[in-house]
Amino acid sequence: MAGKSGRTIAATPQTGLKQKLLSLEGALVIIFILINVFGRVLSPNYNLSNVMRESPRYLAEIFMLFGMGFILVLGDIDISVGSIVCLSATIGCLTSNAGLPMGLAILITLLTGLCCGMINGFIATRFTELPTMIVTLGTQIIFRGIAEVSLGSGGSASLKDYEGIGILRAKVGPIPLAFFLIIICAVIFVIVLSRTTFGRHLYAIGSSKTAAQYAGVEVQKIRFFCFTLIGFLAGICGLFILASTYGANTTTGQGFEMEVIAMCVFGGIATTGGKGNLVGAFIASLVIVCLRIALGQINMNTQLILVIIGAMLIISVLVPSFRQRFLTLKKK
Amino acid sequence: MEKKSLWKKITASREASLVIVLIVMLIVISIFSPSFLSPTNLGQIFRNNTLTMLMALGMLCVMLTAGIDISITSTLAFAGMGIGLLQKYDVIHNTLLLFIIGALIGLACGFLNGLIIAKGKIAPIICTMGFMYIWRGMAYVISNNNWASGQDVSGFSDFGKDGSPGPYIILVIAYVVFFIVMKWTKFGRSIYAVGSNPEAAQISGIKVDRVMIAVYTIMGLLSGLAGVLSVSIYASAQPNMQYGKEMDVIAACVIGGVSMSGGRGSVVGTFLGALIISIIAKALPLVGIDAIAQNLIKGVIIVFVVILNVITQRTMDRQNLLRREM
Repeated sequence: MAGKSGRTIAATPQTGLKQKLLSLEGALVIIFILINVFGRVLSPNYNLSNVMRESPRYLAEIFMLFGMGFILVLGDIDISVGSIVCLSATIGCLTSNAGLPMGLAILITLLTGLCCGMINGFIATRFTELPTMIVTLGTQIIFRGIAEVSLGSGGSASLKDYEGIGILRAKVGPIPLAFFLIIICAVIFVIVLSRTTFGRHLYAIGSSKTAAQYAGVEVQKIRFFCFTLIGFLAGICGLFILASTYGANTTTGQGFEMEVIAMCVFGGIATTGGKGNLVGAFIASLVIVCLRIALGQINMNTQLILVIIGAMLIISVLVPSFRQRFLTLKKK
Repeated sequence: MEKKSLWKKITASREASLVIVLIVMLIVISIFSPSFLSPTNLGQIFRNNTLTMLMALGMLCVMLTAGIDISITSTLAFAGMGIGLLQKYDVIHNTLLLFIIGALIGLACGFLNGLIIAKGKIAPIICTMGFMYIWRGMAYVISNNNWASGQDVSGFSDFGKDGSPGPYIILVIAYVVFFIVMKWTKFGRSIYAVGSNPEAAQISGIKVDRVMIAVYTIMGLLSGLAGVLSVSIYASAQPNMQYGKEMDVIAACVIGGVSMSGGRGSVVGTFLGALIISIIAKALPLVGIDAIAQNLIKGVIIVFVVILNVITQRTMDRQNLLRREM
């Protein structure tokens, strides 16, 4: 009987080239290449420098992808990250405007994200009966509420100190700094999830919390850590949003949580936990970013892009589900 | 002894404790602002929150089967925009017909959700998230980023304009129908059965797939209706209407004691939950809290209520255990 993860003793992973190409990651790489070719054919403006110029506002989101991957593998969910982005960007902007040096403001921004994550983690691990969806639904409203209160009646704040935060917009050639940071993060998080004990513990918890508990995994400590981690990553995202928009308002980061979850799911991470990996999710996020930029270049209605992403999301989860059923039918 | 058992009865019943919370809230508010309990003000509260209250009923059904639907406000926008455009381009102006069309659009959207979730075995949050993007995007696409203004929907908006009984009638009918269906019909009980234990329900002869599809279809139908009502009440149709309000609906259910893991929740509880959220939103400015802080307070109350729930459940379990040991 296959477990939640789909692994059985008989079905040991196969590593042939054909198998690799047929796997989800292989399919995603092919889609990624296709989209880039497609973009190039459709619009002559779709080249490296244009893509890189458009990318910062999408790249900021990808930071949260890694944390969300961990959280989803655990079998939890965090829908408060969009609000954490908003709150940390707001706090960063306000502290900088209050006259604090930029370095300190950046630190406070990151700490804000960290604290928000800790609050989520605290509630989620203290009251384990609560589904994390409910916990983060509540904190989602609270964090954005705090941002709304601190922004005051105007509902927005703009950064006075343009220069200090410029370092975050630094570029190496046409490639923004954020891109390198994301590559570094991707490498670290992928290795942690797939090659370390900690990563394997995440899968164990995602497959069965009780079994993991009995096997000596410190379930609640790990969950607390992961919620804190995603809070911190949301803080980084908030920082880059602040750097690229020179300010914050009450709608900053709205809907980010769903976009990040969509990227993860598109990349093969199941929301039920214990399944999927970050390589797929990372490639999927690049696919979505490139798709958005490419469709933006040919002046497609941004809302129509939403329809396409939604349809892709549903198809990407439907296909494996039907494939699984087809395979089991054939075996019978 | 007598008093204690009464106290226990109240704390054991979710609805009773919600009523107490509601009464305490109303007393506090009317001390600050005596005019709060006037019929006009109460009417306003219901009118402004018709949509949340209506959709909370569908969300109750969905959450009873351990699911969730976050596409509801997108369905609402799609249906609302659809009937807004029908009037803008002078195709149909008949109020009843528009209601039927809007409801049917919602029904179709919900049916699609149900079909994919039940037959494709997809996690409800993922499927409805996909449709959240799709229907919201479609609302923008069909409207071509335009609005249907108050002038376009002038005749139609009479149904939901201030002082018209229309929204109240729909709300009352919906709640009465749901109360009866959920409590006393085979279908209503089978929803509870599916939510408590799908395998057991399947074995006892309930067609789980059909119940799931029906539940999401009902949710879609109500969202479609809410879309039509929204156009009528606010006398305009915009593609971004009610953006993000699905969380309010979920919050209303959660405060009303609907469990996210399925099988627990009632129509009365949902109503009280929705009412509490609506009253908080309306009352905060009256008790001297700035309107900006509304969301903050709302969030704190949601977290507070769900944590309180857990704590009371834990103490109850512990007391039961103690009693057994004696």
